Amino acid sequence: MAYIEARKMSFTYPKGKRPVINDISIKVFQKDITAITGHNGGGKTTLGKLLGGILKPLNGSVLICGRNSKDLSLGQIGKKIGYLFQNPSRQIFTSKVEEEILFISRLKKQPMTRAQREMEEILRFFDLYCKKDEYTFNLSYGEKQRLALGAILVNRPEFLILDEPTTGLDKLRKDTLSEYLIELNSKGVGMIIISHDMDFINTHASRRIEVEGGRIIYDER
Amino acid sequence: MMKDRALDPRTKLIIVMSISSLSVFIREPKYLIAILVIALFVSKMMKSEIFMILKKLRRILSLFMAMVLIQSLFIKGGNPIIALGEITLLTDVGILRALEFLIRISIILLSASILMTSSSRELLQGLIEWRIPYEIAFMVSVGIRFLPLLREEIEDTLTAVQLRGIDMEKLTLKEKIHLYSNIFTPVVTGAILKSQSLSIAMESRGFRAYNHRTSYLKLRMKARDYLISSFSILVSILIACLYILR
Ligand SMILES: Nc1ncnc2c1ncn2[C@@H]1O[C@H](COP(=O)(O)OP(=O)(O)OP(=O)(O)O)[C@@H](O)[C@H]1O
Ligand SMILES: [Mg+2]
Repeated sequence: MAYIEARKMSFTYPKGKRPVINDISIKVFQKDITAITGHNGGGKTTLGKLLGGILKPLNGSVLICGRNSKDLSLGQIGKKIGYLFQNPSRQIFTSKVEEEILFISRLKKQPMTRAQREMEEILRFFDLYCKKDEYTFNLSYGEKQRLALGAILVNRPEFLILDEPTTGLDKLRKDTLSEYLIELNSKGVGMIIISHDMDFINTHASRRIEVEGGRIIYDER
Repeated sequence: MMKDRALDPRTKLIIVMSISSLSVFIREPKYLIAILVIALFVSKMMKSEIFMILKKLRRILSLFMAMVLIQSLFIKGGNPIIALGEITLLTDVGILRALEFLIRISIILLSASILMTSSSRELLQGLIEWRIPYEIAFMVSVGIRFLPLLREEIEDTLTAVQLRGIDMEKLTLKEKIHLYSNIFTPVVTGAILKSQSLSIAMESRGFRAYNHRTSYLKLRMKARDYLISSFSILVSILIACLYILR
């Protein structure tokens, strides 16, 4: 069964005039790593947000695990899907680096020793442990990107949507990310990767979709 | 371009300044209600979109209500109305103060709705022609434009929080307060950092390169503007005198 399915979906931004997404129907599977490419302004980010249930389509529908995205709250979606925004600053919401990872456990009153251990693990993996006491807004772009990704993974999502995850990363960090994504995928985590980075796509993607002017113009496995 | 029938933005500024300074300084519900009625009347005359503002503010409205409630609960002077054994919960003075607060907030909202019938560009020009330094006038207008930005920032942050698997509806009030107090600092720092880069961008494009800036938009006070301005100043002085001498 498709993990995410879009049926004749269209979308226009509230203040926009023309539709950004035009009558797209697509099935996305959990076993794939699906890459979305296309020119600037082609509607990749919008498509990603629609498929991830963050935006709701004006016409047509999006089914996530068989449920209409209109009936799912952001909280319910967040428990299944991890979404990395194109601009990582947008999703970092605590002052301190370690707090970003611990915040949710603290809010849910989960046992802190475990959360603490998990936090150390994640920060070590993303090479941010030495920054754990620093302010998030002073991090560099690539560091923010890694922190945002790390924070998403705390939830152990079953599906990831990553909007240009490699733009800010250097060669070394990109390779680490690659390894990690491959490992996650082998554990059954599905992925949509929005990217211009052809190298990255060619090494990972099992399916490639190209978006132009709000339509899918290419879709091949 | 200004429509011919519209008032000069400076006239609106004067009206709003009169109304809001009265509402800040008067502490008598009777007078406050009178001012509220006047403000409502003026706002209606200007065809302001007060309902739009209320709609935009509907989320904060519950916060105001909570403030009113808390205020009325914590003021302990006057005669108790509701008491639990030894502890007085609500007094008549408490209710009165809360009412005052509510009226004041409404007056300020109405004032804002009056100002919003002019564009921020016109208001800025109004301030400049009052010989308020361009930098300060500009700061005011950027400040006004910044509010929606701050709201956007808060909305984005809330989306991000929810996407971490938090159901806002299921949180208790205590958890919600914990959440808001935690994201408050980052949201504000985010906004400040944005304004810092804005100021650098402006300097690098030659803002303040010359002492005097020419402007395409020219405002002209008409007889009607002078009339209405003096009238509103006179009326507010009158109300102030009545209040002081009461
Ligand atoms: N919040 C918004 N309101 C109105 N229009 C928007 C909004 N966000 C995006 N758009 C418009 O939608 C179109 C597609 O935007 P989108 O961000 O999906 O493109 P993209 O393919 O991700 O581009 P990029 O490669 O630059 O990330 C653009 O023309 C953009 O102007
Ligand atoms: Mg994009």
